[in-house]
Amino acid sequence: MGASVLRPDGALKVSGEFAYSSDLWLDGMLWGATLRSPHPSAWIRSIDIGPALAMPGVYAVLTHEDVPGEKFYGLENKDQPVLAIDQVRYQGEPVALVAADHPETARRAADAIVVTYGEREAVTDPRVALERRMLVRHQPVRVGSTFSADVVVTGEYEVGMQDQAFLGPESGLAVPAEDGGVDLYIATQWLHVDQGQVAPCLGLPPEKVRLTLAGVGGAFGAREDLSMQIHASMLALRTGKPVKMVYGREESFFGHVHRHPAWMRYEHGATLDGRLVYVKAEILLDGGAYTSSSPAVVGNAASLGVGPYEVDNVHIDAYGTFTNNPPCGAMRGFGAVQACYAYESQMDRLAAACGLTPVEIRIRNAVSQGSRLATGQVVDTPAPLAEMLRDLDAMPLPESVSRDLRDLPGGVGQTTHGDGVRRGVGYGVGIKNICFSEGFDDYSTARVRVELLGGEPHVLVHTAAAEVGQGLVIIQAQIARTELGIDHVTVAPADTQVGSSGSSSASRQSYVTGGAVKTACEAVRERIEKDGRPLEVILQDGPIEETREYRHRRTFPMDPVTGQGDSHTQLALCVHRAVVDVDVELGLVKVVELAAVQDVGKILNPLALEGQIHGGTAQGLGLALMEEIQVRDGKVLNPSFTDYLIPTILDMPPMQLKILENPDPNAPYGLRGAGEPPTLSSTPAIAAAVRNATGLPLSRVPIRPQDIALA
Amino acid sequence: MREFEYVRAGEVGQAVAMVTADPETSYLAGGTTQLDLMKDGVLAPDRLVDITRLPLGGVTRDGDVLRVGALASMEELAADPTVAERLPFLREALLMGASPQLRNMATIGGNLLQRTRCRYFRDPAVSACNKRRRGTGCAAVQEVARMHAILGASEHCIALHPSDMAVALVALDAVVHLLGAGGSRSVPIREFYLLPGDTPDVENVLRHGELITAVEVPLLPPGARSTYLKVRDRASYEFALTSAAVALRIDGGVIGEARVAMGGVGTVPWRATTTEQMLEGSPPSPEVFAAAAELAITDPYVVPGTAFKVELAKRTVARALRTAATQGGPR
Repeated sequence: MGASVLRPDGALKVSGEFAYSSDLWLDGMLWGATLRSPHPSAWIRSIDIGPALAMPGVYAVLTHEDVPGEKFYGLENKDQPVLAIDQVRYQGEPVALVAADHPETARRAADAIVVTYGEREAVTDPRVALERRMLVRHQPVRVGSTFSADVVVTGEYEVGMQDQAFLGPESGLAVPAEDGGVDLYIATQWLHVDQGQVAPCLGLPPEKVRLTLAGVGGAFGAREDLSMQIHASMLALRTGKPVKMVYGREESFFGHVHRHPAWMRYEHGATLDGRLVYVKAEILLDGGAYTSSSPAVVGNAASLGVGPYEVDNVHIDAYGTFTNNPPCGAMRGFGAVQACYAYESQMDRLAAACGLTPVEIRIRNAVSQGSRLATGQVVDTPAPLAEMLRDLDAMPLPESVSRDLRDLPGGVGQTTHGDGVRRGVGYGVGIKNICFSEGFDDYSTARVRVELLGGEPHVLVHTAAAEVGQGLVIIQAQIARTELGIDHVTVAPADTQVGSSGSSSASRQSYVTGGAVKTACEAVRERIEKDGRPLEVILQDGPIEETREYRHRRTFPMDPVTGQGDSHTQLALCVHRAVVDVDVELGLVKVVELAAVQDVGKILNPLALEGQIHGGTAQGLGLALMEEIQVRDGKVLNPSFTDYLIPTILDMPPMQLKILENPDPNAPYGLRGAGEPPTLSSTPAIAAAVRNATGLPLSRVPIRPQDIALA
Repeated sequence: MREFEYVRAGEVGQAVAMVTADPETSYLAGGTTQLDLMKDGVLAPDRLVDITRLPLGGVTRDGDVLRVGALASMEELAADPTVAERLPFLREALLMGASPQLRNMATIGGNLLQRTRCRYFRDPAVSACNKRRRGTGCAAVQEVARMHAILGASEHCIALHPSDMAVALVALDAVVHLLGAGGSRSVPIREFYLLPGDTPDVENVLRHGELITAVEVPLLPPGARSTYLKVRDRASYEFALTSAAVALRIDGGVIGEARVAMGGVGTVPWRATTTEQMLEGSPPSPEVFAAAAELAITDPYVVPGTAFKVELAKRTVARALRTAATQGGPR
């Protein structure tokens, strides 16, 4: 524990040898394809599958009529049809399925299905949806009654729709089983919640729907909802053959939920010396066509809507709307990202109004252990925000504008040779809940077995927790090694033959599955100690195996009227400083450096942790400067990696990190989830730095060259 | 993707004859644009004639002219020592134009024929596209446009020519050599591309079956200063919002010769002749550059999403001129 042990999948991924879910193969398997709606909103008048069925090589063509069990599924609310029934509510909604002996045949057969649509009005403006009260959730937060102050700043902010943009598209293989069930090999974030949604739709008991995690090429929330799990299983059960489905890049943009775009209005009141008196906010998040995890996203935006600041009077309304836009749901940061961009932009405005530096205004209002959040929840573990900000401020700044052309805005494009370049510095602070909130029981299960192999003790750790690229496999192995003192540790493939581990989201797996592995190891150790004989001798009687469930402390729902309640398990802080060079003439931004301070409670694997902070920071940089799914009238305009831009290595600067270890006594080893917080604070820090360089208000992200050059 | 027949051509004459004889047959070179368009259903040839094994490669210098075989790769041209020495801005345009993977596959002839990134052109589900099918209308003019043209555009088409390399070649007055069933001919590159007018589906003077065999590129005079400037949404792997290819010969404090072309703004790579005329004979000062850049965009055809390009393109030209004059010297 605490060592930079290399993860087993790292070298394989870099060398191209890692088996992703898209590499799954069984001889004799069929290929599935999905026909999707071209319209954001339409009646389905008729579906003629005849021309597709008539094509040689086609084994099955299925519509909603062929769904064997329940017709709807969903994470929080079963409102999403497995296949569209009589109407479609977003562009890309699955309408029919094909299985054929070749992927191209399957695609052509899908194209040959004749669907007659009757287009109808699409509601695509969430402000209209709000007026019509088409709401997935409205969560107010109300505390205090003083809403006037000496200094008042207001602002309106927008966040574009970000995509998780994982590199491994949705893919899986469904194999029909002799018992009438199905074995599904799938890239996902939570095997058991998939199982719990797939089985009822197939009309099967859960034990007949067995899932095994296939190689996951990134997730970031996009695999929390189902994609083709039910579809591939339906095709496999219908044809009696294994069926593989792999989305292409364009289809992937329609195959998963995105980050909610947001429209936010904030008003901050403060004393003349910059102490917050009140915060008023209206946060509008567009959830698109189906519920997905929007209610929880809205809950986060509300409960964390003022940020990690002490303020006695809060009036927040967070809304999630239903529209005919693409469904939005989980993405790294989960509702806290959008609000963070807005409240941090406000803190900078407040600093300017009070004549304080951005660091000073934040320190004056920073939470600390013992602070009460707007929800009434007391921060009962270390939260040294002021100290983190001072540490950040004390980090050396990079040298003034570089003369090395490669370091200037435009990068290798050498768009500037130093003229017209202005340096800017900005700060961002974020607070993220770790683990699921609002009363959700997201426990984890671990089975730990010690046995003799070749005369030596070996440990087998078995959980259902999804390695999605975050490094969980090596963390589990490190915990087992540490707890049992046995070098040989194998982490079994994740599947549903062991109890649920909950989702690989909310930065929670090191905490909850780490806790489960630790607890199961402790149970094994207890048996060994109780026995008293040497381990090798005990194991000659047979293996020792213990299974344990681990639960974080209980949380509670938010009051639907006041938003009050101890809704969160753990709170994590990250602060960023961004240094940018802006070519103000051409609108180009070069992020020169990002510095971050994060309190993780306890470092389990320094290398893996730094990777998470770098990656989360880069994703926040993408949101600040380039990443946006452009949607117009409900239609996605840029479903490709040519047109949806993610940062390249040339866009991402080196980082300075300072990592604090103030333990949370409630968590295993005192650790604090680390994957999401950097995604929050890097976006506002970069936006603030660009504002600092240009003097422009820049109230929308991503910031494009024309927003700077031609403001 | 529709099924098609694949043939590998054994010799040049045979390839030209095969394609000429059948309107549904096309050439296949590097395939970096063509295969994408076939997968998307924008192109659906019955037969492809693979010309990659034909002896049309190589980069050779003949005095002050560089002869570039049509099948030379972008990478090969970028790595050529003469290009580095005498055509540095062409090298920059090539390097900024594509990733190494693409540069290794894409050919010079193919790059001249690179198709637009207009999303409406590339999506057959959009019915209104005069470039795909004449007379159907232009969705880009009606709907959302950003990466679109403001020069040479009309209500019939605002699709942008995406090449970086071609911008430098237009500035250089390269000559395109063609071979058809009826013989060979040479076309100055500025006459090679056609404005969309009311026939946006016709992009150049190539007759069906005619093959680009080579491009002749006059070298810049020794001591000329040049630069290729590309403004884009991220630092690499992205098309230009605006770009400028600029070459200057400065004699005794006066601009003797100016070559200025723009990318990211035109339906074809755009030569800024009025800018050049103002520059020639003037001193190379920032004020002159700014004034000359003002002339680079005249009578733009803008839609709401592209209006920003008018000013951005002028600034791009002015910046490129300043850069070339001060730092674009021989390396």
